[in-house]
Amino acid sequence: MAAGSVPARAPGWANLGMDIVSAARVRQMVDEHGESFLLRMLTEQELADCRTDEGLNLLTVCGRIAAKEAAFKTLRVADRILPWLDIEVHRADGGWPLIELHGRAAQLAQDAGIEGITVSISHDVDYAVAVGAPVLGPAI
Amino acid sequence: MSAELQQVKTWILKRHPERQDIAGDLDLIENRLIDSLSFVEFVFLLEQASGRTIDMESLEVDHLRTLNIIEARFFGVTVH
Repeated sequence: MAAGSVPARAPGWANLGMDIVSAARVRQMVDEHGESFLLRMLTEQELADCRTDEGLNLLTVCGRIAAKEAAFKTLRVADRILPWLDIEVHRADGGWPLIELHGRAAQLAQDAGIEGITVSISHDVDYAVAVGAPVLGPAI
Repeated sequence: MSAELQQVKTWILKRHPERQDIAGDLDLIENRLIDSLSFVEFVFLLEQASGRTIDMESLEVDHLRTLNIIEARFFGVTVH
């Protein structure tokens, strides 16, 4: 069956989201506009979570950005701008990322029948990738 | 073309050196001249060029789809 013919809420069907972010691009962004520019995409807490005793860990930043993009892609909304600050990435005690939705992102998820989004992040050398999967609520 | 829009066009061309020009009605999104990451920078650039803050809550992709639309929406020029 072609993916396009599968209903958005077919039983057992979940739309994944995936993203890759280049550290070189984010580094260039920071070099041009400063670290505070990242607050357009990350909350204060997220940015703080990306700091180590040696300063800002750029790959961690990229991982957070990729996770937000991946989470947004699971919502399958066309022509909408990613509500960066409404998708928040936390670090669980076990080390894995947790997604918290607020505002517009929460509304979009609710409209799509999605109760939450789970993500996984990985990074190496100069790239971070993330994959997201929706946690579906009961079919309406 | 306004000086502000020329600034926007120059910014895009700098990131896509394979291009010589960008038509006013070219879809910037479909042609991947702006992707989701550069979108953030792009909005920042528009704020600087227009001298006003852009409300991200009400901003839609269609508001940034072509140079003509951007000029009309952010730089107060009506395109006929």
